Amino acid sequence: MAEGEVSALGTRKRFIAGKEILFDKEGFFLDARDWSEEAATVLSREMGIDVLSEKQWRLIRFLRDYYANNGKAPLSSEIKAGLGWTLMELESLFPGGIRLGARLLAGLPNPQSCTQ
Amino acid sequence: MKKVIMKVNGISHQFIVEPDRILLDLLREDLRLTGAKQSCDRKGQCGACMVIVNGKTTLSCLTKVASLDGAEVITVEGLGTPANPHLIQEAFVLSGAVQCGFCIPGMIMATKGLLDKNLNPTTEEIKKALRGNLCRCTGYVKIIDAVNLAARFLRGETTPDQVRPDPSKGVIGVSLPRPSGMIKACGVAQFGADIYPQGALELAVVRSPHAHALIKSIDTSAAEKMPGVVGVMTAKDIKGNNRGGEIFIICDKKVHLVGDTVAVVAAETRKQALEAVKAVRVEYEPLPVIKTIEESLAEGAIQIHEDVPNLKFTHPQIKGDAEAALKNSHAVVEATFSTSMIHQAPLEPEVSVAYMEGEGEDAKLVVLGRGINIHALAKVLQDSLGWENVRYEEPFVGGQFGMKTGFTTEGIAGAAALHFRRPVRYVCSLEESMQISSKRHPHVHKVRLGANEQGKITAYTTNFDVEGGAYSLGGQVYILRSLQMLSGPYDIPNVKAFARLYKTNNASGGAARGAGPPQSNYALESAVDLMARKLGMDPWEFRYKNTLEVGGTMSTGEVAEEWPAKDVLEALKPHYDRAVKEAASLKTGKLRRGVGIAGAAFGIGAPNPKDQATVAVELHPDGGLTVYGGAADPGEGTDSMLTQIASHVTGIDISKIRLVTRDTDRATPCGSASASRITYMVGGALVLAVEKMKEAMEEAKAYTYEALVAAGKPTKYLATKHADTTPMDPKTGQGIFYEVRVLGCQMAEVEVNTETGEVRIVHMTAVEDIGTVINPTNVEGQMQGGLDMGVGMALREEYIHGVTKDWRTFKFPTMKTSFPMTVITLQTPRKKAPLGAIGVGEFVLLPTSAAVMNAIHDATGVRIYDLPAKPERVLAALGKNKN
Repeated sequence: MAEGEVSALGTRKRFIAGKEILFDKEGFFLDARDWSEEAATVLSREMGIDVLSEKQWRLIRFLRDYYANNGKAPLSSEIKAGLGWTLMELESLFPGGIRLGARLLAGLPNPQSCTQ
Repeated sequence: MKKVIMKVNGISHQFIVEPDRILLDLLREDLRLTGAKQSCDRKGQCGACMVIVNGKTTLSCLTKVASLDGAEVITVEGLGTPANPHLIQEAFVLSGAVQCGFCIPGMIMATKGLLDKNLNPTTEEIKKALRGNLCRCTGYVKIIDAVNLAARFLRGETTPDQVRPDPSKGVIGVSLPRPSGMIKACGVAQFGADIYPQGALELAVVRSPHAHALIKSIDTSAAEKMPGVVGVMTAKDIKGNNRGGEIFIICDKKVHLVGDTVAVVAAETRKQALEAVKAVRVEYEPLPVIKTIEESLAEGAIQIHEDVPNLKFTHPQIKGDAEAALKNSHAVVEATFSTSMIHQAPLEPEVSVAYMEGEGEDAKLVVLGRGINIHALAKVLQDSLGWENVRYEEPFVGGQFGMKTGFTTEGIAGAAALHFRRPVRYVCSLEESMQISSKRHPHVHKVRLGANEQGKITAYTTNFDVEGGAYSLGGQVYILRSLQMLSGPYDIPNVKAFARLYKTNNASGGAARGAGPPQSNYALESAVDLMARKLGMDPWEFRYKNTLEVGGTMSTGEVAEEWPAKDVLEALKPHYDRAVKEAASLKTGKLRRGVGIAGAAFGIGAPNPKDQATVAVELHPDGGLTVYGGAADPGEGTDSMLTQIASHVTGIDISKIRLVTRDTDRATPCGSASASRITYMVGGALVLAVEKMKEAMEEAKAYTYEALVAAGKPTKYLATKHADTTPMDPKTGQGIFYEVRVLGCQMAEVEVNTETGEVRIVHMTAVEDIGTVINPTNVEGQMQGGLDMGVGMALREEYIHGVTKDWRTFKFPTMKTSFPMTVITLQTPRKKAPLGAIGVGEFVLLPTSAAVMNAIHDATGVRIYDLPAKPERVLAALGKNKN
């Protein structure tokens, strides 16, 4: 598959920060190990965020840590409990909210599914 | 009303009941006994509800309570408990007869009824006594074994302790009873319909009578006023995107097949909900119904879904130059093969339960579903219902065979729990379950196979069309799987394929054991057999000559690294020679004997790239270990695999290995319990997690829970198994898709009645190389059940939407259709696999249909191209069709 080409299941291959990365049809990383701060920065610009703020990085790092310890993304109630922020604060922090914004930039994959 | 006094399991009860009260409902709803099960819509077709009344086996679904005054009723709970089981229950567990376990209480009661009268039954007597009890998992072989073992126990010839595996033999390659076996055998394992949250409403659904229509209006006012009705939901009451893939939880503007959900009624009882369904008035505007590929793809055809074209998906595969190779071939066979739409037929009807936990914005929606990919289904619920805080739980699941990768009742139950803020139960009838669930996709393959003068295959082409139905659940995934395994075990230098997935207003296509390759392998292996005949070669010799060697390439361009295809053929050879010799003298007359073989190579793992599974292990103060991993177990034996591997790699006694696999809050994501991937991916992640724990122990020189804590080390370790696979190239169908494969072959011996067209399976022999075997009985059980299912696909099974409504019209396999079989397992350890072990649950389906069809050809000299080979098709092929 070539750069930018989309496979039958919607997988897209991109080169970001010198690395070949596969994304699913929603734009999530297929493999959390492909993530880097540089990749997050590139993707955040595509989301319309010029520079990620310290608060945004804090949420991204929280998500990465949670994923490393639990193998999955936290529910919003767990993020609230972990960071002490309100749901409204969390949802408004990124253009796509928690899931399509923070979780996507943090490189947390969607659960694997056979029935795309 | 009538007063009835009767004993149930030795306890006297007084019931005051309506004249039509059914014993099964009384046992389940009034006494909350969960052993007797409902499967066949109370038609007496399945035996899952069997109990003993006054010493006689009785179908509780056909028995009115009013007729039971003074009766003594025994249910499976009355025989024994997990702590003190009956010898029959012990026999079923020790024989490996318990897979999903849904049919087992009924089987055990039928066995009790038989053995109470006859302690020395013959196989025929066992088959007769249990002829009304259906099982989809086992092919009945281990059920018969269990009855025989129970008889031996009861005759005093042996004891469970003498049969139980010797603990000193270790835990790998040992048939330890599966951990969930005994609670299933005692009827106390909770399946979805056995769960009654306090104050739960019962749901019933208004379903479309039209295959394709616009919804003009819905009037729920009359239904809302009916007794017990709490409310009626329509699509406007769902806050999320209301979709699970293409499926609408509740249709808003349009219905796309008969049985689509239009409205949901919630009432205090199921009877009230069902009554209210009849009072919902829906005005439809019928639209043209698309039934065939020609109608679907015709210019100007109505598009079934606004956002999905009728030709949903196409994909090629190209290796070498197949057209040129065919042109230069010594011989070419050309044929068209078709397979039918098939219901996967798990015995348990569709069911989900849902409730809210907590309050406010942090309230959690808890859905006890029937799906086998709990984390992915939780995400579907989040998106479709617009509620982020979701926990998905898997109760015990009564079989699935691919069907429960999809999304059905959980969406409706979850939506209703959110809307009504009350616990809800949605328990489908069998007919409804058949309407709403996905089916095995029908395929039509137009193939050409070429060979040279030396009998070597030169090229293979196939154009195949796959009916996706109204809502295709991953149809493109199953096309990719067909392409990924297209060349089977063979060395085919040139391949050209083109697949199309099209939509109709028929039942939805979806995963079904093997999911694509059983259909495409049927076409390949039938063509291979035709070529052997054309060349005048023995079918075994032709296959042996054409198997791929290590270092050769598949149709995908992947290089074969471990490829014991010749080994499995060699293991089959003595059986094949014997069968051919026996059949040789039976080629004339009314009953003709034939022998057919077929092979397959099956890739293990999800077809999408970067498959992964995560498992955590946690050490406890008592020296025990908990394994966390969301790996569903609808009957395959995941619990055996995880506990046996965990015990082996840690040295912890298996009794101290605990599993947390069934809820998304506690278990780590492992992906779908499909694609035969659980042993390889989840077992692999488990081994990695234990290795991490051991590394930490070595580093700290701390080998117990206390020592780890004292050393400041964690007691819980998590690891992820990644498969290093790629997406499929959209232009060539090339890529890297699987790290390991099962290789195998099967032989069918059939007897064809040339006057009636009926085909009897005389014997099936299956050889498979699946690497290290962890639990031989479980492997054998998967193979036996799969062979039975494969023969059903070959000879009987065909789902026709709206016509196939129950087990009888589906032609569910029975004791009567069961047959003798031999399973031979080779164990070439796979280098990348945990302890060398991979999965086997789906491979078994790939060769069976072709083996049976090849045997019919051998017996009669005529070929059946369209599955199933019903008697009328056999007669037509013989030129005896009266029509």
